[in-house]
Amino acid sequence: MRPRVASRRRRLTWQTQDERIEIMSSAQSLPLKCTGCQAEQNTPIVCIGCHTLYPVPQSADHFTLLGVPRKYDLDESELAASFRSIARNVHPDRFADQSEQMRTLATRLSAEVNRAYQVLRDPVLRADYLLELAGGPSAAEEREAPGELLMEVMELREELEQARARGDRTALERMQQALRTRRRRTLETIAVVAREIDSVDERTRRSMRRALNSLKYFDNLLAERA
Amino acid sequence: MVDWACKPVSPRLPRCGIAVTSRLGTTVNMAESRDIIIGIDLGTTNSLVAWADASGPRLISGAGGGFAAAGAGAANGAEDVMVPSFVCLEDDGRIVVGSEARRHAVEKPLATLYSIKRLMGKGVAEVEEEVRRLPYRVERLRDDGTGRDVVEVVVGSRRLTPPQVSALILAELKRRAEAHFARPVVKAVITVPAHFDDAQRQATRDAGEIAGLDVVRIVNEPTAAALAYGLDRAETATIAVYDFGGGTFDISLLRVEEGLFEVLSVDGDTHLGGDDIDRTLMDLFTREIREQSGLDIDSPTIRQQLRTLAEQMKIRLSEDAEAHVEIAVGANFTYRRTILRQEFEAMIAPLVDRTLEACRRALRAAGLEASAVQQVVMVGGSTRIPYVRRQVGELFGRRPYTALNPEQVVALGAAVQGSILAGMRQDLLLMDVTPLSLGIETLGGAVGKLITANTRVPCKAVEMFTTFQDGQSAVKINVLQGERELARDCRCLGVFELRGVPPMPAGIPKIEVTFLIDSNGILNVFAKELRSGQTASIQIVPSHGLTREEVRRMQLEAVEHAREDMSAHHLIDVRTTVEFDLGKAERMIEQYGDLLDANERDRLKRDAAALRRLARTSTDAREINEKREQFNRLTIPLAEKAIAASLK
Repeated sequence: MRPRVASRRRRLTWQTQDERIEIMSSAQSLPLKCTGCQAEQNTPIVCIGCHTLYPVPQSADHFTLLGVPRKYDLDESELAASFRSIARNVHPDRFADQSEQMRTLATRLSAEVNRAYQVLRDPVLRADYLLELAGGPSAAEEREAPGELLMEVMELREELEQARARGDRTALERMQQALRTRRRRTLETIAVVAREIDSVDERTRRSMRRALNSLKYFDNLLAERA
Repeated sequence: MVDWACKPVSPRLPRCGIAVTSRLGTTVNMAESRDIIIGIDLGTTNSLVAWADASGPRLISGAGGGFAAAGAGAANGAEDVMVPSFVCLEDDGRIVVGSEARRHAVEKPLATLYSIKRLMGKGVAEVEEEVRRLPYRVERLRDDGTGRDVVEVVVGSRRLTPPQVSALILAELKRRAEAHFARPVVKAVITVPAHFDDAQRQATRDAGEIAGLDVVRIVNEPTAAALAYGLDRAETATIAVYDFGGGTFDISLLRVEEGLFEVLSVDGDTHLGGDDIDRTLMDLFTREIREQSGLDIDSPTIRQQLRTLAEQMKIRLSEDAEAHVEIAVGANFTYRRTILRQEFEAMIAPLVDRTLEACRRALRAAGLEASAVQQVVMVGGSTRIPYVRRQVGELFGRRPYTALNPEQVVALGAAVQGSILAGMRQDLLLMDVTPLSLGIETLGGAVGKLITANTRVPCKAVEMFTTFQDGQSAVKINVLQGERELARDCRCLGVFELRGVPPMPAGIPKIEVTFLIDSNGILNVFAKELRSGQTASIQIVPSHGLTREEVRRMQLEAVEHAREDMSAHHLIDVRTTVEFDLGKAERMIEQYGDLLDANERDRLKRDAAALRRLARTSTDAREINEKREQFNRLTIPLAEKAIAASLK
C-alpha cells in the first residue's frame, strides 16, 4: 500500500509505517516536514498544508519529487494521483497574486513536476531514467544496438517494403503484429534488469542500454506504415 | 477630462466588502476580489469580453456597459455583446471599431481591416494566399536590418502591424468593461487557438500590451470553453472540445476530475475556419459571374460584397434547405443563384474532413479511442452548420453538446480563468499542453527536438552549447517550432544570441541553456556559462514578431492617440452642452426678458453671443466649460424671476 495523498488542505495520511520508511529513504536528506507549518510532506517542493514552495533540491530525483518509491514497478493510478495532488499545489495559478519571484518559482517547479511525471508514467522512459540514476551508460555514451538487431531490422524493412509494394495488407498486418510482440518482449527483458538496477554490474547495464536503443528501431518501423 | 482610461492605474481594492454600482445599476460585489480580471475572446470575426466571480461568468455588453445574460440566445442581446473584429481607419484620422466599422466594409474596402487574427505573428511569405483575397493592402514591415519578416497593413499613409490593429479591438473591449465597472480595468485573460505557435501567442500578448492591458494569461480557446461549460461537476470524464471558429480550427481532448482540467492532447489548423467556408462560396460566385457575364469583377468592393453575400448564404443554409443570392454586376448583368443545402455540404466536405482528420490525430496522440470520449462540446460559429454537427457526431459516436452559445462560450471561459487568477475560484485549475514540438537547428539543417508536442506546460528542456572558435564570445541558436525533421520545414521562432560568453579556447565553455515554456505556452530562454558561473545575456531577434522596444513605443502611441481621441470627444461634448444651455437661456430671455431691466438684459445677450463665439472657435474644452458655467451663474437671477412669475 502506498500512502494516500489526501486532497487539498488536508494533511497526508500514511497508511503503514513501513511505507513511510521507504519514502523517507528515497528522499533522504530532504525536509519531510514543512518549515512553515510543520506538516509532513510527501514531496520536497511544496507543502500541501500551507502551500509553501521550496526550490528543487539538487539531489531530488523524479521519484522523490512525486513522492513515490524509487523502483521500476509503479502503480499507475497512484502515481497519477500523487502527481495531480502535487501539480495542483505548485500550479502557477495558485500564486497569481504573489511576487514575480514566487510566480517564477511555481512555474519552474511545475515544469519539474510535469517532466518527472512524463518520465515516470512511461515504462520505457522510466527504465531509461533508472539506468541513468544507476550510473548509465547514457544514450549518448552507448549508441549501439544489440549486434544481431541491425541485420534483423534490415530484413524486416525489406519484407515490409515488399509487402507494401504488393499491397498485401494481411502480410503487413501480420508483420506489424510480430513487430509489436518483438517490442513488448524487449521491454520485458529491460524491465527485468530495471527492477534490479542497483545490484547489476556495468556490463548488464550496457546491454540494457543497447536493448533500449533497439526499441527505437522497432518504433521507427512501426511508425513507417503511416 | 477623464484621464484614467488611457493611464492604467492598478486598481488595488481593499479586501473589505465594497459594492460598486455600475451604470445600469448592476451591483457588483467586490468583497472577494482584489483585482478585476476580465476575460477576452479576441476572435477572427467577433470579439467579446466577460467577467466572472465565484457565482459564474457573464458577458459584458456594449452601449450601457451592462451584463448580458449568459447563454441567452436573444438576438439583440447576442449582437450587443459581440464586437465585430473590424477596424476602419477613416480619412480624417478617426478610428472606428466594431459594428460601425463592419458597416463600412463594402463602401471603404481599402480602409476596413478584418480577419486580422490570421495575420498575427506571421510573415508576408506565409500569408500570401490569404492576402490575395483581402481587400486591404498588406506589406512587409520596412527593413530594419534584422531580416525579420513581419506583416504590416497599409491604409493610405498609415502603416499598422497586426498587433496594433488587434489592440484597437482590445481597447474597445477594455472601454466596455471600464464603462461597466465604472473604474479602470487593466488585467485581462486573452484566449488564442490552441494550435497557435509561440510567435502568434507573443503577437497576441503584444496586442494586449499596446492596448494598455496587463495580459495575465493567454488561454487556449477550447480549454476556456471547457471551463465555461462547468463540466467539473461530473465525475472523472474525458471530453472533446471541437472548436471551429471564424478563422481557426482546434480540437482538444481533456480529462476532467474534481475541478482539475487536464488537457491530454490538442490538434488543429490555424488556417481553417468559417472564412474558408465563405471563400468556397465566394469562389463559386466569382467563377460563375465571370463565365456568365465575361466581366472582370476583381475589384475590392465587389470582393467585399461577395464575401458578405457568401456569409449570409452560409448562415441561411444552416436553417433552410436552400438559399438564393442575387447581385447586380455592372449595368446590364444580374447574377442569380440558388444553392441547395446538399450542394453546399458537398462543397464544404473537404474542409470538414480536414477537421475530422485533426480529431483522429488528437485521439492518437492521447492514446484514446473515439468511443472513450464521454462528451463532445461544440464551440465556434461554424459548429452551427448542421453538416458539421452530423459529421462530428458520427466520428465520436455521440450527439455533440451544444447547450451554450458556441460564439460566447470562449469569452465566458476566459472570464472563469480570470476569476481563478483573481483568487475567487480555488476549486478549478487548468493544466494545458504545448501544441507544437520545440527544437533547435543542428548541423546540416536538421532539427534537434527539445520538447515534443502535447507535453504539459509549464515544461522545460536544458541543452548544453559550446563555442567553435577560440575566444568566441557569442553563440547563436536558431529556435524552431513544428513537427518536421528539417529546420526549413519548421517555423523559425527567432535567433537567440547568447552574449557575454567568457573568452576561452574553442569547445571549453559549457553554456547551459534552459528553454522554458510557461503556462501561456510562451517560450522563455535562460542561459548560464557553467565554468564561470556567469549568466549569459540573450538577445532575441523574433522572426515574425516585434521587439520589446517596438511594443512599448506602440503602447505609448496608442495612449497618445486615445488621449487625443478623448479630448476630441470631450470638446464635442462641451460644445453640445453649451448649445443646449444657450438655447435654454435664450428661450428664457425671450419669454421673461422684460422682467429684467434693459442693462441686465443686454448684458445677458452679449454674454450669450460671446459664449457661442468662444464655443465655435476655441478648442480648449476647459476654457469653454468655465465660461459656460460663468454664464449659467449669470442667468440665475433671471431664472428665479421666471420661476416666481410662472408661480403667480
